[in-house]
Amino acid sequence: MLDFFQAVSDGVLFGATYALIGIGFTLVFGVMHKINMAYAAASIGSAYAALLVLKLMAGAPPWLIFAGAFVAGGVLGYMLYLACFHFIPLSSPLATLMSTVGMLLLIDEVIVHVTAGMPQNFPAMYDDVMLRAGEFTLRGDLLLVFGVSVVAMVALLLLLYRTRLGLATRAVSQQAVAAQLCGIRVGQVNAMTFVVTGLLGGLAGAMIGASVGALSPLLTTPLTVKGLIVTVVGGLGSIPGAIVAGLLVGGFENVFQLYRGVTERDLYVMLLLFVFLVFRPGGIFGIQDDRG
Amino acid sequence: MDFYFGLAQLIGVHTLLGLSAYIVLLTGQVSLAQAAFYAIGAYVAGMLTVLGGWHLVPALGVSALAGAAIACAVGFPALRVKGLMLVIATLAFGEGVRLIFFNFDYQIAKGDVKVGPLGGEGFRQIRFFPENGWSTAEVMLFIWAFVILVMALLWWFDRSRYGSVLRAVGEDELAAQSVGINLTAVKVSAMTVGGGIAGIAGALYAHYTTHIEHSSFNVLVATFAIAYPIVGGLQNVFGTLLAVIFVQGFLIEGLRDLGDWRNLLFGALIVLAMNLRPRGFFGGRRRA
Amino acid sequence: MKKLTLAVALAFAASGALAQEKTIKIAGFGAKSGVVRSFGINSEAALLAASDVVNKGGGVKLADGSKAKLEITFYDDRCNAEEGISVIRRIAGTDAVVAVGPTCSNVAEPLFGILQKKVGDSGDSGLQMPVFTDVAIKVGLAKISEWAFRNVPNEMTMYGSLFYWLKSKYPNAQTIYGGVEEDFAHSRATWYSVMKAGAEASGYKVLGNSKWLLNDSNFATQVREMKSAKADVIAISAHPFTTCGVLKEMQRQGVKPKVLVGLTSSSSLETLEGCAKQAEGMIIPTSFAPVNKEATNAAQTTAKFKGAADLHSMAAWENIFILKRVMEAEGISGKHDAASVQADRRKIRDGLAKLKTTNGLLGVSKRDDEREADKPYLFVHANKGEWKVLYNPL
Repeated sequence: MLDFFQAVSDGVLFGATYALIGIGFTLVFGVMHKINMAYAAASIGSAYAALLVLKLMAGAPPWLIFAGAFVAGGVLGYMLYLACFHFIPLSSPLATLMSTVGMLLLIDEVIVHVTAGMPQNFPAMYDDVMLRAGEFTLRGDLLLVFGVSVVAMVALLLLLYRTRLGLATRAVSQQAVAAQLCGIRVGQVNAMTFVVTGLLGGLAGAMIGASVGALSPLLTTPLTVKGLIVTVVGGLGSIPGAIVAGLLVGGFENVFQLYRGVTERDLYVMLLLFVFLVFRPGGIFGIQDDRG
Repeated sequence: MDFYFGLAQLIGVHTLLGLSAYIVLLTGQVSLAQAAFYAIGAYVAGMLTVLGGWHLVPALGVSALAGAAIACAVGFPALRVKGLMLVIATLAFGEGVRLIFFNFDYQIAKGDVKVGPLGGEGFRQIRFFPENGWSTAEVMLFIWAFVILVMALLWWFDRSRYGSVLRAVGEDELAAQSVGINLTAVKVSAMTVGGGIAGIAGALYAHYTTHIEHSSFNVLVATFAIAYPIVGGLQNVFGTLLAVIFVQGFLIEGLRDLGDWRNLLFGALIVLAMNLRPRGFFGGRRRA
Repeated sequence: MKKLTLAVALAFAASGALAQEKTIKIAGFGAKSGVVRSFGINSEAALLAASDVVNKGGGVKLADGSKAKLEITFYDDRCNAEEGISVIRRIAGTDAVVAVGPTCSNVAEPLFGILQKKVGDSGDSGLQMPVFTDVAIKVGLAKISEWAFRNVPNEMTMYGSLFYWLKSKYPNAQTIYGGVEEDFAHSRATWYSVMKAGAEASGYKVLGNSKWLLNDSNFATQVREMKSAKADVIAISAHPFTTCGVLKEMQRQGVKPKVLVGLTSSSSLETLEGCAKQAEGMIIPTSFAPVNKEATNAAQTTAKFKGAADLHSMAAWENIFILKRVMEAEGISGKHDAASVQADRRKIRDGLAKLKTTNGLLGVSKRDDEREADKPYLFVHANKGEWKVLYNPL
């Protein structure tokens, strides 16, 4: 029984990072009805970029590097917007999808080129702290990651629901034409969405790097797949959905691994997705699912 | 010369993979599951020729049927999910199939060696072609016979009512439904045909590489499958063929002399291609 | 675009014909993309470095007594089976007389599969190109084709010997528990067929093993399994990324076995850069360490070509010298017309097949009938951020 709770708690803490990635995917979908396949890659890429801070300032404290990833994420987000969304007409969703795939490949290649494919150490905070309650343990660094993720999610929700930019973003996501008629500059809102999700993604990348202790190009594909699953399970376009789904997927994944082993684990995660698609196709907090 | 024949083999198999996604794309469904049907075709054909001693042609037939059958089964639940959710659902299905093969062991002893798929280690020694003395050129012609057959079939579809029906569903489902088109039949049939084509492609893949394993059918392969028709454009089958030649012939083999730059240019050129020609090489102009 | 490529190709051909020097072309190939990019870089550097040494010494003696310089071209197969096959076909279409590679075992297997299985079998249309592998290490690949040869360490012998030696050095260690990277051919095969078998043969009791995947990042469950097994020896059959992840988790959960054993491929810079502290004391058998003048020299020369020397890249170095010896013993023509190139390839293949021993950097390697090598080895351990020799059985 203890094993079960331990697996759940480990998984849920890790799931906070999936939630951050899921939020990024779902926010772009909600506003532009497009999927940015390069999102997870950009997040990891931002974390790599943050390591440049170490090059400039040896012995920089971890939080500074996390901040670097945050900023790099915003920059990468804007670049992604320009490369894949600004010029391609909205009526060509396939082209957008494919160009984000191209960016995913490009970001991966740049990372591999610069680092020769070798894993890069990423600073962590409290990675030697283990909270114990008898046999039950909680990793200190994961708790920090969880905490930072929660703060980021709250900040995002505040941005969306308490600021003018957030209002404009929600307006464009609901009815782009009507929003335009109200004087909202859709192009600018879209670009800002990418910057905001990019900032979030950069932070997610830093948190993932911190929890793993190293960055590797190997991280990109599973994060992309899991992030997309989290997005669907949570409901495309729903941020609270992505948050809950991220934690859910993280927890379930670890439990599946505990009971069925690592070779079948991902199979069950896929089955979890299918169960949701069959019984709750709109996701946990399904939003406008007749938009297709 | 052998190299060009080998490259032509590769282009042929990838064209079939791309065409399997093409027909499904015509109905407006973006399927990342084609790599799964590809995998099923590969393992089925491999097991039949290696474990069962079958000749390749009937094995290809069974692979096509297996791919088509599973695709048909996937086609029905796929109706429930729309748009980008379908992308993710098919991606998950594809990964699921890959993971099943990752766990799949079926070995029998032939003499003093054990043959057959062995989970994570893959399925080795699928040597129908070299054992029966097929030259590289002969294998190439064999593969291209199927490519031409499939392209002709799809071209014929396009010229017939079925093709118009497919594209009508792809353009506007509501309008198509209101003129009496049975959406279920159309979408599932497209998925089935796509699955069959992918099954053939997979079977050919297994035999010309002689070794398959779960990682040969990963997300990247699934992505390439839809990349070809998207980059090529949906106007006709030649778009897909051209896209495969562009990606495999030019980007991967042609740019080899650029050394390390080749890999960097790969992603960049795809982004550029999509920005310059969003509807693909043969996408035609959109009527306003 | 096609016209441009043709023009460029013709220009290259013309310039080749005008060259005064005689050359022998050797094609190297391997992974220069993805997480294994460093392997390709190192192999290429080793090939260039070794051929530079040969060329500075005059080159290779041809059958007619003249000397020819070695020319290396390296191709990137991106650790992808289809591309590997394309590359070997491309190499076969050039005037290269032998190919050295690949890096990845999952490329080697299909690649060997398209080679002619038995020499002289006219019914077999497989490719007739000798391939001399430097890196791809998964057990038992060269027997797929008589044109395939490998100069990779024999993990069976190395680990068998390691566990035997460990038993005598740590007599109170009786049990062993494994950690396996399940979805990578090499690491998976090495635990089940090599480490486990070797440990059992030396009298260790195998308590079980934990599994993970190549790109996993959370090892809490697996390490907890290790902790409850309470084994004296823990053997980790995984590559540096997950090895470091597991070691870090072991540190977090306070799992400290008496002996820690690692996978051959992890005796590299990557592991030390990732987790030198946590890897302290890890013992790995390897077929390369700069323990003598020749080895140190090889490492330094390779460094000049911007590559690192480890058991993988140094096999490529050794291959060049072995090939030189074979070429001179068999008397190759060095001519560039298709018939001569094919004849030279056959001679090199036959020459490699005849070899019973070869010279390696650590000593003499034996070659067996399955075209595999049995290389001298030693045991290294991670000590203060470096791989230091722990025990040298030579």
